[in-house]
Amino acid sequence: MLTVKERGHFVATMRYAHVSVMETMAAWVPTSPEMEVKLLLGEHIWDMAQHADSLGKRTYELRLALQHSVRPAESYVDFLAEASAIGPTPQRLAAMYDVVIPALAGRQRHYLEQTDRLVDAPTVRILERYLVDVARILDAAHALRRELPALQMPDGQWVTALLGREAALEFLATAPTAGVAVEA
Amino acid sequence: MRAAGDTKVVRGVELRRDPAREPCFEIVHLHHDVPESGSVTLEGRRQRAHREYNQEVQTLEIAALCLVDFPDVPWQLRMELARQCWDEARHAQMAYDHLKELGGWKGMYAIANLDWATVAMLDSLPARLAIQHRTFEAGSLDSEHASVPMLKEMGHHGHAEMMDAIEADEIQHVRFGNEWLKRLTAAQPRALLEVASAVTWLRRVVEATGGDRLKEIATSSDTRELAGFSESEITQVDSMARAALRSTTTEPGATHHG
Repeated sequence: MLTVKERGHFVATMRYAHVSVMETMAAWVPTSPEMEVKLLLGEHIWDMAQHADSLGKRTYELRLALQHSVRPAESYVDFLAEASAIGPTPQRLAAMYDVVIPALAGRQRHYLEQTDRLVDAPTVRILERYLVDVARILDAAHALRRELPALQMPDGQWVTALLGREAALEFLATAPTAGVAVEA
Repeated sequence: MRAAGDTKVVRGVELRRDPAREPCFEIVHLHHDVPESGSVTLEGRRQRAHREYNQEVQTLEIAALCLVDFPDVPWQLRMELARQCWDEARHAQMAYDHLKELGGWKGMYAIANLDWATVAMLDSLPARLAIQHRTFEAGSLDSEHASVPMLKEMGHHGHAEMMDAIEADEIQHVRFGNEWLKRLTAAQPRALLEVASAVTWLRRVVEATGGDRLKEIATSSDTRELAGFSESEITQVDSMARAALRSTTTEPGATHHG
């Protein structure tokens, strides 16, 4: 069974990742030329903020500060930063909707397999609700790219390579250390 | 925050360079270079829907930029800005759907991004809240409030309902702008100087770009009250609006919202 400390560490790290994804989406709104993409990102900024908020409330229940974030492993922070720096819109969409969000969802599914569903029920509820949202988010991104083929990546190798890279990375920093203080 | 090369000069004033747009759009730098021929003809209605579409996108871009530029502000304020991003995206979609219903298309007319160009130059969040939320969006509340009965009278019931729904969302945007501006300036009195400086800056921009922002319509006291303005603030805005109306007139609802 995961300890309270381990659960808090995961939840706070996942909060960090979702704030980071929200900020990347926000940065891409004015810098992506396609109006449809701006609108897609605008909606999903709110989804990411809501999930980060739910996780941040849960950190408080796990003996951490309210809206507490913990930096992931440095290699994962670098990975998020590299994704954020991508310029062309098709790559941006592929990185976000084919790699980063599905991968984070996969890590949350893995957590759900590990944690005790009764002891950690509040976290389970938060993650399960989010996974429903993720399905909608990914559907919307796929639908847009079907509608506007210019937003699709010409080949799938780039995505496959990025997915492989993400999968090889540690998500959690080794030890539950100091977090990123966030005023609630 | 903006980097070197992120600015442009319009009539001697340094403004933020335009946000990214597709090649189908012709970008102009002044509102009066954007076609506007009233709301009576089909052409005029298309022009208006096209302006509203770009305006909503621009406001989405401003809210998103605040999330990027000010990562250390209180989380609840970031949540408000994130929610605003979604609202503006929905409004933009509504305006675009309306444009298409009228037989229009993206890039049909020239667009101007003057709100972005002005607000994105400000390096302080209280200053952006004062200009974007308390000034631009509050002005939009007034125009939206006036446009709903006008559109109904003209028989454009669908458009009237859309504007009414947008106004309900915008009240919350102005309200959180008002609330957080008060909280931030109370916690950090230096922010008042930033706000004062931003207002002076806005005056300069308005003067240089043709005074478009002064062409607002009569203030809507009801919506401003809902949005958190005090009675004295409403009176002050109302007298400013009346003074502006003495020198110019404009069609209700033909201004900016986001």
